[in-house]
Amino acid sequence: MRMRRLRLGVAACLAVSLVAAGVTTADAQKRGGTLRVAYGNEILGLDFHTLPGYEMLWVASNVGCGLISLTPDGKIVPDAAESWEISPDGLAYTFKLKKNVLFHDGTRLDASVVKFNIDRILDPATRASTRTFYAPVHSVEVLDSHTAQIRLKYPYAFMMHMLAAYRTGLILHSPTATQKYSVEDRKAGKPEAVVGCGPFKLVEWAKGTHLVMDRFDKYFEPGVPYLDRIVIRVIKDAVTQMAAFKAGEIDFIADFSADHVDTLRAQNPRAQILTGKETTPMVAMMKVTVPADGKPMSKDRAPHAIFNDIRVRKAVGCYGIDRKEIVKIAYKGQATPWLGIIPPGSLDTVDVTHMCPYDPAKAKTLLAEAGYGPQKPLTFELMTNTEKSVFHVIATVIKEQMARLGVTANLRLVDKPSWMLTATQDGPFDMYVEDLASLLSVDQNAYLSATTAGWNSTRHVDTKVDEYYARYAREMDPAKRRAIAKEFQEFSADKLYWNTISGSPFYQIAQPWMKGYVYQAEFKVFYKKVWLDK
Amino acid sequence: MRIYLLKRLIEIVPTILMITFVVFVMMRSIPGDPVVALLGDAYTEDDAIKVRAEYGLDRPVLVQYVIWLGKLVRGDWGHSILNGRPVLNDVLIRLPVTLELIVLSMAVALAIAIPAAIIGAVRQNTWADYTATSVAMIGVSIPEFFIGVLLLLAFSIGMGGMLPSSGWVYLPGTCPTIVCAASLLGNAHHVLMPAIALGIGRAALLTRLLRASMLEVIRTEYVTTARAKGLAERPVVLKHALKNALIPTVTVMGLQIGFLIGGAIVVETLFAMPGLGTFGIDAIIARDYQQVQGFALLTAIAFVGMNLLVDITYTFLDPRIRYTG
Amino acid sequence: MTAPIRGGSTREVDLPVSEAAWDGARERSDSPFVQGVKRLRKSVTALVGLAIVVLLLVVAIFADVLAPLSPTTNDQTAMFQQPTWAHPLGTDQMGRDMLSRIIYGTRISLLVGVSSVLLALFVGVPFGLIAGYYGGRTDRVIMRMMDLILAFPIYLLAIILMVIFTPTAGLLGTIKVTGAIAIVRIPIYARLVRGSVLSIKEKEYIEACRALGLRDPWIVLRHVLPNCLAPIIVTTTLGIATSIIVEATLSFLGLGTQPPTPSWGWDLKANVAFIQSNVWLSLFPGLAIFVTVLGFNLFGDGLRDALDPRLK
Repeated sequence: MRMRRLRLGVAACLAVSLVAAGVTTADAQKRGGTLRVAYGNEILGLDFHTLPGYEMLWVASNVGCGLISLTPDGKIVPDAAESWEISPDGLAYTFKLKKNVLFHDGTRLDASVVKFNIDRILDPATRASTRTFYAPVHSVEVLDSHTAQIRLKYPYAFMMHMLAAYRTGLILHSPTATQKYSVEDRKAGKPEAVVGCGPFKLVEWAKGTHLVMDRFDKYFEPGVPYLDRIVIRVIKDAVTQMAAFKAGEIDFIADFSADHVDTLRAQNPRAQILTGKETTPMVAMMKVTVPADGKPMSKDRAPHAIFNDIRVRKAVGCYGIDRKEIVKIAYKGQATPWLGIIPPGSLDTVDVTHMCPYDPAKAKTLLAEAGYGPQKPLTFELMTNTEKSVFHVIATVIKEQMARLGVTANLRLVDKPSWMLTATQDGPFDMYVEDLASLLSVDQNAYLSATTAGWNSTRHVDTKVDEYYARYAREMDPAKRRAIAKEFQEFSADKLYWNTISGSPFYQIAQPWMKGYVYQAEFKVFYKKVWLDK
Repeated sequence: MRIYLLKRLIEIVPTILMITFVVFVMMRSIPGDPVVALLGDAYTEDDAIKVRAEYGLDRPVLVQYVIWLGKLVRGDWGHSILNGRPVLNDVLIRLPVTLELIVLSMAVALAIAIPAAIIGAVRQNTWADYTATSVAMIGVSIPEFFIGVLLLLAFSIGMGGMLPSSGWVYLPGTCPTIVCAASLLGNAHHVLMPAIALGIGRAALLTRLLRASMLEVIRTEYVTTARAKGLAERPVVLKHALKNALIPTVTVMGLQIGFLIGGAIVVETLFAMPGLGTFGIDAIIARDYQQVQGFALLTAIAFVGMNLLVDITYTFLDPRIRYTG
Repeated sequence: MTAPIRGGSTREVDLPVSEAAWDGARERSDSPFVQGVKRLRKSVTALVGLAIVVLLLVVAIFADVLAPLSPTTNDQTAMFQQPTWAHPLGTDQMGRDMLSRIIYGTRISLLVGVSSVLLALFVGVPFGLIAGYYGGRTDRVIMRMMDLILAFPIYLLAIILMVIFTPTAGLLGTIKVTGAIAIVRIPIYARLVRGSVLSIKEKEYIEACRALGLRDPWIVLRHVLPNCLAPIIVTTTLGIATSIIVEATLSFLGLGTQPPTPSWGWDLKANVAFIQSNVWLSLFPGLAIFVTVLGFNLFGDGLRDALDPRLK
């Protein structure tokens, strides 16, 4: 009896240790395999400096490398630069580069490459989309072969963040390739022209069909990437995405529609559903001024017939919209009702939603004060675009909420290019619903709402907004910055040149066997450390 | 015959010119142009003006059209403003996908139509006939996207994913040569569901046509004579009736193929197939002028060319038809 | 052999055989309609189709009375409900009653389907008459225009037109969709009528009428037009079926009827992603489209068989 128990005990121990061994070896990253990614939208083109679009950005972050990068909790970490020093007056940023960084075409990365790239961005002829962010930059000096120094005209508190993660962050292009091939070649995605220093190199791009990236064997960080290859396909329809995911035909959906998350979860209980605090605002913007002479973008402004009156803005956009109801219907409660100009997940954000409680009675009073009522009912046009299904859901709910106030909102659904044209080119609109862009910080929002910004879609003319942005960007003390941010967000909520209704949640879906991916909202989609547990 | 062919070929040219010109003008009447999308977040009015001048978009529409035409006769279909890719390449990449879809769809359609028509003609006005015609009638009344959704639900999401959900899959190593001629067989089971969704719709009309034509023949003396000679019914039906039915069928098939070249948009969208239909509609929505022109040109050539092909096929099918100068 | 009608919807393609059929119908009696109606009454398919069409018309006209709730009011307490007595077909993402949406959707589908075809008819038939009767340069110019429209695949043209018009909600939006679909269908009627006109233009009694001093428009109306009526009616009925599908497809693509106007195509597209948890939200709009189109197709088929028996 005893012998048997002993033998059983030994066998049990053996079994446990075998299992334990199995578990530990299974956790070690497996090298190899192809990651199959699905995009919901097409890549517009592959010239990283000039073209817009997240889809391009996500390719850029894997094909290209920068000086520095950003972690999900906001820390600046080295990329091609191994260390950096910021001078006490905040005007000189000195970067020491790693010695072993190579481009996909074999050329070396050195300080002159850094200078070449930033000079290119500063040059208006390049028409780089990030050029506005480099306004504080005076010049770039090459101190020695692997040390570059960026000199600023005035202190800029977000220089590092900007280099790391505003849009693509600074992506370093090979000067050889840039000079040999034209911008058209890069846009078209010719592999010889799209040359970066990142972990993956571009193999081919057939627009609308697929994009293929292979491991760059000479990547400067040893051991990574684990994947042999990444294939990106465009699947626009959510149902098809879900079917492909369920069938195991794709491993990763880079941007999944919020209203179908529940369905996908039900179909795939083991799927990894990645999300976080919203870094993109869902807005219902009201146009404040119109061109006085009828010419779009004219410097001569006249008040918008309806929404120039702040009482009407407050009645409609502040007290008249039930943000909680919108979030409940459009997102099944999986988003944050919000008012502030800076989204819930961005740096130095402040919750000012209490400044606009849902109060239809107050809204009606304000409307009456402004001259609207049963004798003169308010009617306006609510525009949105077809890019995401959630837009028209929100627009429809707002229409119903307006009806409760006796206000008629007529919906106008247009395609994205038409919407962009109307919103950015001072076209005629009253209110639109959209989710614009993801924001890392208050500073980044300047390009969306300063009076001079092209994307100042409401075309407000209050220079106090510009002042706030300038003060914020130059304040080096984080505590003082936060105070400025708070004041700014309260000011903005009070004036309602910008009207947020909620955060816009971002979802990525991964198969259970896709490991090593770190969710970083829309800012960074890195495949460097991803491996497939198959 | 040759003179006739030449005449027809010459006639095609003005039609194609007209179509492409109309599309050219219509695209430029739509609000918005590729420049707004091209500049994206960094959009400024000054840059926009410069870029428009660079691409010649500020010149009169007629001048732009003539320039496009000039490039075309030299074999240059232009480059997309948005992404700089040669239009001809992108069109040729998508063409095999659409062609495979069309071929399989017509095969499905005929696979349904021929038996149904034969049953209907041979056993006219019996339950079998009514069933066959009803099936055909149902097929033409369900919108393609609904069939597609039901198929997707049944075979991709349900049934343990028996059939793949998307109509095309990238097979490594088959690009970047101009025609992404992926192993067409390798992709065949991907195209099956979209082909069924499209084929059912086409089958109905074909069934009706085949049946009507076959009935016509059955009633004529061909059959009576053949029966009098003591020949069995089935070979008679199949040989004479089908042959007679071919002409109207070929006409309609030609038209259907011409339509499907650009018209399979919904099925292509639903099954994520990178075909010409999605190419066209995406280009229109993105205001990619050059790509839309390429798409319109190809669709026009296909359509008009299909008509000509059908007319020529007549001469082989019915020796009585001859085209003279 | 007459040139077959090309392009447009292949469902109305004129078969080479039918030329002879029309002659025959005319020779039999001077009121083919009486004969046609008699045959129609005996046809099961036609009667079933007619019953469906009439039912739909009733639903569309009396939608306000029949629909239990408003199709557009949100109710955040009742989202995605399964069918219950209160909501026999469940509710959608915004808590709207699906049954009411389907009932009201009948209005849009029938409105767009019927008016687009009627519009095409009222524009196309005169063009065809003029082209066929006067011939020569007028004929060539008009037919060139028609060929141009026909050379476009139906969806390409409809899509481009809708992008130009910009989809809008409400009545204006419905008018735009109707117009876009109508434009695509005009050539079918023009060609149809022109073919008919050409076939009888040279007949002797037309010459006799002219000799008698009767004016052209009267000749056209009294003698030419009645002979086209049979195929026009058949084409119209079948055309309504096609238009309904085109409207649903445009709405499916987001370019047709705009929310919150209830549209079957739109509801189908919007709810197809929830098909696993709430099947009826997309199933019923799809079935509604199917039944409606089937009804018109059956009736149109029955009409064609009745008015042109030799085609059967």
